[in-house]
Amino acid sequence: MDAIETNPMIRVEDLQQVISRQVVLDRINLTVERGECLGIFGTRGSGKTSLLHILAGIDRFYSGSVEVMGCKLPRQQEFKKKMGLLTQKQSLFRDLRTGENIDFIAGLKGAAKQDMEEVVEEYELQDYLKEPVSRLDAGVYQRVSLACAMLNRPELLILDEAIKDIDIYSRCLIVNKLTEFKGQGGTLLCGFSNIEFCPQMDRVGWLEDRKMSLMSPTQVQEKWERLVSDAGHKMGTANA
Amino acid sequence: MQAIRWAQQMRNYLIIMRREFYYMWQDRVLRYVLIIGPVLAILFFSYLYSFQNVTDIPSAVVDLDHSAQSRELIRQLSNAENLKIENYPETYKELESLIDQGIAAVGIVIPENYGQDIMSGKQTRILGIIDGSNMIYATNASSTLIQVTGMISAETGIKTMVGMGMNLQEATEAYQAIEFKEEAWYNPTLNYAYFLILALALNMWQQCCVMAAAVNIIGETGVKSWPQVKASGFSKWKFFLPKSLMHLIIFMALVLPIYYIGFVLVKLPLCCSFGSLMGFTLVFALAIHSMGTMMSSLTNNAVDSTRFGMIVALPSFILCGYTWPLESMPAVISKAAWILPQTWFFQGFNHMTFKGAEFHAMKGYYLGLLIITVVCYAVSMMATARSER
Repeated sequence: MDAIETNPMIRVEDLQQVISRQVVLDRINLTVERGECLGIFGTRGSGKTSLLHILAGIDRFYSGSVEVMGCKLPRQQEFKKKMGLLTQKQSLFRDLRTGENIDFIAGLKGAAKQDMEEVVEEYELQDYLKEPVSRLDAGVYQRVSLACAMLNRPELLILDEAIKDIDIYSRCLIVNKLTEFKGQGGTLLCGFSNIEFCPQMDRVGWLEDRKMSLMSPTQVQEKWERLVSDAGHKMGTANA
Repeated sequence: MQAIRWAQQMRNYLIIMRREFYYMWQDRVLRYVLIIGPVLAILFFSYLYSFQNVTDIPSAVVDLDHSAQSRELIRQLSNAENLKIENYPETYKELESLIDQGIAAVGIVIPENYGQDIMSGKQTRILGIIDGSNMIYATNASSTLIQVTGMISAETGIKTMVGMGMNLQEATEAYQAIEFKEEAWYNPTLNYAYFLILALALNMWQQCCVMAAAVNIIGETGVKSWPQVKASGFSKWKFFLPKSLMHLIIFMALVLPIYYIGFVLVKLPLCCSFGSLMGFTLVFALAIHSMGTMMSSLTNNAVDSTRFGMIVALPSFILCGYTWPLESMPAVISKAAWILPQTWFFQGFNHMTFKGAEFHAMKGYYLGLLIITVVCYAVSMMATARSER
């Protein structure tokens, strides 16, 4: 457990991921400090989810070295006790109701009954406990997913497109809770593809052509605007 | 601290077991297949074999002799339990037509001069035609014809000897110098019901169990919720242990009504103790669960895994040597059949229920099933660990 207390939160060196003989991530280097909010930005298929799943200890990687809370992946997995994950694809147990999902995942994470009651209240899920998760609206579903990720009171939260395409109320509630989490010293790793979330991050890793460049949110926004403008010009030339 | 950790661990196991139970219960099709299927099977087969023996095989007799002796032969044939003489065609051609149409399964032709030949001590021939397209009819009719004609032949022989001046005692002893006494042990009345009902119902039960176990691993690792388990840091071995335990509890709960109906209501023979039968069934349940689990770890999706389960579970009853002896199969198949847990179970089941075989006689069967269990679980573990890489 001593390893968990060492800094930084995440250290990645020369990470390479190969899926179906195709290089998806190429020589990624990254360090995430405790209490930092690092965004992983990229368009669809850029490798955001692959990177986040490796850092969450879900997927194995081809080469390089990955350390999370001092645990060397893939062998050491103790860090998961202090990690929460919200996946891009809906990953709650479809055969269980909302309350049963919270109860079941709490069992897997070794969370106490009190933690369950707290997250239900914090994410305003009281009215949905008996609903099958397959019937929940996207926003409520994300609230349940985040509530489940928070059951073990994590120090590191990995989110993959947490607030994409959801209702405004759920979005505000989630952003509010994430701000609170960060305020309490939590570390956030957020995968996103919508540039408007950029200002919420401390730093952003832009994934493009299998490689990652680390930038400030302002730099990311400038680069994005430049790309949009270039694309506009190209279209204009093409139309002319 | 140790106690708290242990209690927490137990709670986790119970949560996983409870979820597995609800998962199986909430799936309506699975629920009906698992619970109603085997119970319906034993009720249906019990009713189906309620006559217990093959009787009243539709038969026809052509009497070309019309003598007192031929009428006596017909009377004796009519008294045989297995045959029911319903038709008396006048000619061989008519008899042929009856058998062709399926109206008669057995045809007996008594030749002209039958009575005269018997009276004069000459050899005579009775033709017995059996519809071989139905094996059960054919076997039973054949043994009845042999029995009846053997008896008449003996009577005639003895009468001839008495006619030649021998006394009855001497004639009987001379004719029957060797007395052949036949005893069928364990199932003295050669009752079909005893032999088949439970085996057929258990066959259905084991098929359902293999299907259910065939989604054990892929049903979790192949669905979108698997990252929740992996991200929780909960050991996958600890995850599958209580899940498998719940499967076994369900499998054993499902076999209880089958045994209750079979042994208590239908009164099928049970020569061993119920406890030892349940113990043997538990080891078999473990073996078929391990086999299903292995399939679920080697396939890419639940549908393929279930298909593999069906491919193995369906013909296994035929291959296990219960209905067709292993010794009568080609050597390669009869040896390969022992790879299947069904062969060890159904062979051992027969020994236990009919012969009351004790543990020392059953050791081999237990060992066979346990070896299959260990091998299948080991392959499942290796395949699952490998797929996670």
